[in-house]
Amino acid sequence: MSDNSRVRVSIVGVVIVALFSSLVARLWFLQMGPEQKLRAEAIALSTRTVQTESPRGRILDRNGKVLARDRAAWAITLDRTLKRATRDRVLGQLSETLGRPLADLRRRYNSPRQSLLKPAIVALDIDQAKRLAILENQDEYPGVHVELLTVREYPEALKLADPTLAAQVLGYVGEIDREQLKTLTRKGYQAGALIGRDGVEAAYESVLRGVPEIESVQVDPTGKQVGTGTVVQQGSVGNDVSLTIDADLQHAAEVALQTGIDAARTHQDKTPDVAAKGFSLLKAPAGAVLVLDVRDGSVRAMASNPAFAPNGWVGGISQDDFNGLNDPLNHFPLVNRATQGQYAPGSTFKLVSSLAMNTFGIRPYNVYYNDVGKVFIGNDWFYNDKSTSNGSVALAQALTVSSDTYFYTAGDAFWNAWNAGDTARGLGLEQTARDLGFDKKTGIEIDEAPGRIPDPTWKQNFANAYYKTAAEKRDNGRWYPGDEVHLAVGQGDVLVTPLQLANAYAAFANGGALLTPHVGMAIKDGKGHLVRKIAPKPRATVAMDPAVRAQMMLGFKNVVQSGPGRPVGTAYNAFLNFPFASMPGGVAGKTGSAQVARKGPTSEFVSFFPADAPQYVVLAVVEEGGYGADIAAPIVRQVIEHMQNPAAPPTPIPNESGRD
Amino acid sequence: MATITAPATRRRTASGTSVLAHVDVLLLVLPIAISGLGLLMIYDSSRNRLAAQGLSKYYYVERQGLAFGIGLAAMIVIMLIDYRRIRDLWALIYLAILPLLAGVIVLGRNHKGAQAWFQLGPFQFQPSEIAKVVLIVAIAGYCHQHRGDLDAWRLGVIIALSGVVMGLVYAQHDLGTTLVLLVCTSAVLVVAGLKPVHVGVLLMLGATLVGAAIITGKVQAYQFDRLTGFVDQKTEGIATPLQTPAQLSLRASKTAIASGGLTGTGLFEGLQTKNGFVPEQHTDFIFTAVGEELGFAGGATLIALYALLAWRIWRIALLSSEFFGTLIAIGVLAMLAIQVFENIGMTMGIMPITGLPLPFMSYGGSALIASFMAIGLVLNVHMRRFS
Repeated sequence: MSDNSRVRVSIVGVVIVALFSSLVARLWFLQMGPEQKLRAEAIALSTRTVQTESPRGRILDRNGKVLARDRAAWAITLDRTLKRATRDRVLGQLSETLGRPLADLRRRYNSPRQSLLKPAIVALDIDQAKRLAILENQDEYPGVHVELLTVREYPEALKLADPTLAAQVLGYVGEIDREQLKTLTRKGYQAGALIGRDGVEAAYESVLRGVPEIESVQVDPTGKQVGTGTVVQQGSVGNDVSLTIDADLQHAAEVALQTGIDAARTHQDKTPDVAAKGFSLLKAPAGAVLVLDVRDGSVRAMASNPAFAPNGWVGGISQDDFNGLNDPLNHFPLVNRATQGQYAPGSTFKLVSSLAMNTFGIRPYNVYYNDVGKVFIGNDWFYNDKSTSNGSVALAQALTVSSDTYFYTAGDAFWNAWNAGDTARGLGLEQTARDLGFDKKTGIEIDEAPGRIPDPTWKQNFANAYYKTAAEKRDNGRWYPGDEVHLAVGQGDVLVTPLQLANAYAAFANGGALLTPHVGMAIKDGKGHLVRKIAPKPRATVAMDPAVRAQMMLGFKNVVQSGPGRPVGTAYNAFLNFPFASMPGGVAGKTGSAQVARKGPTSEFVSFFPADAPQYVVLAVVEEGGYGADIAAPIVRQVIEHMQNPAAPPTPIPNESGRD
Repeated sequence: MATITAPATRRRTASGTSVLAHVDVLLLVLPIAISGLGLLMIYDSSRNRLAAQGLSKYYYVERQGLAFGIGLAAMIVIMLIDYRRIRDLWALIYLAILPLLAGVIVLGRNHKGAQAWFQLGPFQFQPSEIAKVVLIVAIAGYCHQHRGDLDAWRLGVIIALSGVVMGLVYAQHDLGTTLVLLVCTSAVLVVAGLKPVHVGVLLMLGATLVGAAIITGKVQAYQFDRLTGFVDQKTEGIATPLQTPAQLSLRASKTAIASGGLTGTGLFEGLQTKNGFVPEQHTDFIFTAVGEELGFAGGATLIALYALLAWRIWRIALLSSEFFGTLIAIGVLAMLAIQVFENIGMTMGIMPITGLPLPFMSYGGSALIASFMAIGLVLNVHMRRFS
């Protein structure tokens, strides 16, 4: 090697020595010198509290089947702020990387079920390898995030292939809204938190919601979180709620309800106004089925149709979807018809009338009345259905054949007493109705409507609010005989919820205990240990004369069962060949076909069984479903059949019988 | 002019024993030791971030470990081939790298603003890292052929050889590696006998090119931001959202190192490191983890290890029996030294922020393998100095 080269190599060496020396010098000044102040700053970086919601508890049926549970899922989300070309490119790349069809990603991106204000969830359940492929090359995926989401899933609905299983009972989980946030911030809810909406999810929110984990994290000057932070409050999973609902029975009830509704839509609407204009079918847009345990008020099944599938709302429900569910054209699937639907009870209300007329001495059960099919009261004629003449009837027969004139005249007698100044006796019908739980909420945990029992005060208040002139207010606010007469057969201004009706029949069936219906059975912790039981105490006792009750029971039994020497009841056809002998006393019940202004009649049937030792009330209501005997009663029969033998095929809905 | 002589006492005579008897053990051990520390610090600085994403804490360590193994194997393979065979094949090797560099522009995957990666299954291969070693071999080979006779024409050939590679790398938006290539070329040229007049011409040419690049906007905004970010450190200590990402990175980096003090917070205890406050900490900013957790003691020791490594390579430049070997050693020395200086300097705010890895430390398989290959070449020169 030449000396020249040695010099040159040495120059390189000197340069390198200089470079390395400057590094050490700089390191010294940075770590040991005046810039030590940076060290204090390291600790003083702004700290922020971050709250992570813990998984919600599960909702179980009475046998421990899982109706709803939380599942953590890694999701890929895509910002909605991207330009169209970029978005298309990124979606294409994601499709390739994730191995999922592009159409699938696009469908999710465009799904109206997602909020437009948040990044769109384009893929769920992404395994580690694919998450890494994206995280390692984040620059290739602008606007793409990998997020851990909590997804509410519905295993039993999946198993039964019934996505709407108990939908209105369960309710759904959604993002907390601004109004709720105002009042719930002190309970530790933050914007974006998931909260139970409707049903059990809302009613048991405080139980189901876990303790959120609170972390103290440090943020960089742009406010972006850096690092993993330290846990300030350990989170814990929410408690489980066991329901009184039996998932299989619930499913059977929903299927029976759907079958009934489908059948009703093939029947002619024979409402005189409608039939006069020509042939048209019943619309039967909605209905409800209830199975209530008369011994403790627990709800075994509560079906409401139309229903919704709560599992499609991963990542929150969008405004569009919410609007759709509230569109009248879709008949409001979010509404729980069993607790929030308010219907004229029709002849099923004769339970109340029968008790009231005996309690208040209007007409004893053993006094016969000659039913000629119509009766003139006040200034009007009142008719039986089809003006059928039933001949001489006492209470039991009047219930069995659903004699309206028997009860019209009783209503008239109440009115006369009221008009004579005997307010207590004259409003005995209203009193009895309220004693049986009508006109106020039953106290069930989930949302319900209060119903309405009209009386002179209500009518005057209503007229005062509705009419302008004093004369109109006076005339329309007056309590006419027709008001009381209509009330006696469950028509006019009276409104009841299916749950109120079922609960009143339960009180009759169990001998007079008015219970608080409930869907919650027990609270359990995440490991299945009982935290507490849910068993509301009876609200009141309704006094019933045993002789009256026996006659009513006879009447209700004969509605369903018939035989030699017994009158043919309204639901005889619906329960033809039912094995009544398999239970003590068979099945008892009452049909109802409530007239509704400008709509087809509401088809109703309430039953309880075994009649001699009642255990369950089973009720069906179908809006614009025609006669109670045609649609509601066969639905109830199918539900009872399932309760007797789940494996047996249900009896098909028979053809129209045309009986009230 | 001062004359520096190599230590004569160390010079051994040729013996008939295997060339393996003359392996520079210290030069063999140092990269392995630094890589070991690198694996530890990669784990340290990435474990929490990975865990927060629900991934394995060892994800980066495992991949880097694999690259370490491949790197060792590549080094051994290179050591076994007589470097003079490599010298004779320099043109072929040079031509082989060009399609790779060109291909990556067309087929490669865009990564952090630099389009420099081939995706090979789960792995990414960055040809520009290998190109550094190849270019050193090529220029050294050419200069060796024409030693003592580097006229303007031959200088032009060298500039062309280097310029093509630099151009292809720059087209991948990899400014840092382009500058490293420039430094390697310059270092080799200086030792190969570049005339002072040529130096003047080259400097002027370079200044013109840089000026033209800035004026015509060929330098990307983020590159400019990174290069100039370190100049404007006035806002230091007062963090504002208006700071550029580069300034924020720098601030976080300096904060982490400064909080280390003399002995550091202790391994796995650094707040900045544990909380992932420094962006890209397992790659470009790995030195901040050393600085915070091992303090001045650790940081200075690491720099000393690099210095030791540099000294061994520099020593081989002097010991080499062939001019080619000297040039190889100088090229590798320049390549490693400039990366160490630029990378560590960047973390402490005395050099601009470029995406250069810290040799043997930073996460990145291609760079690690290329560094081991470079060390293999130098070891090769050393062990065959008598044959």
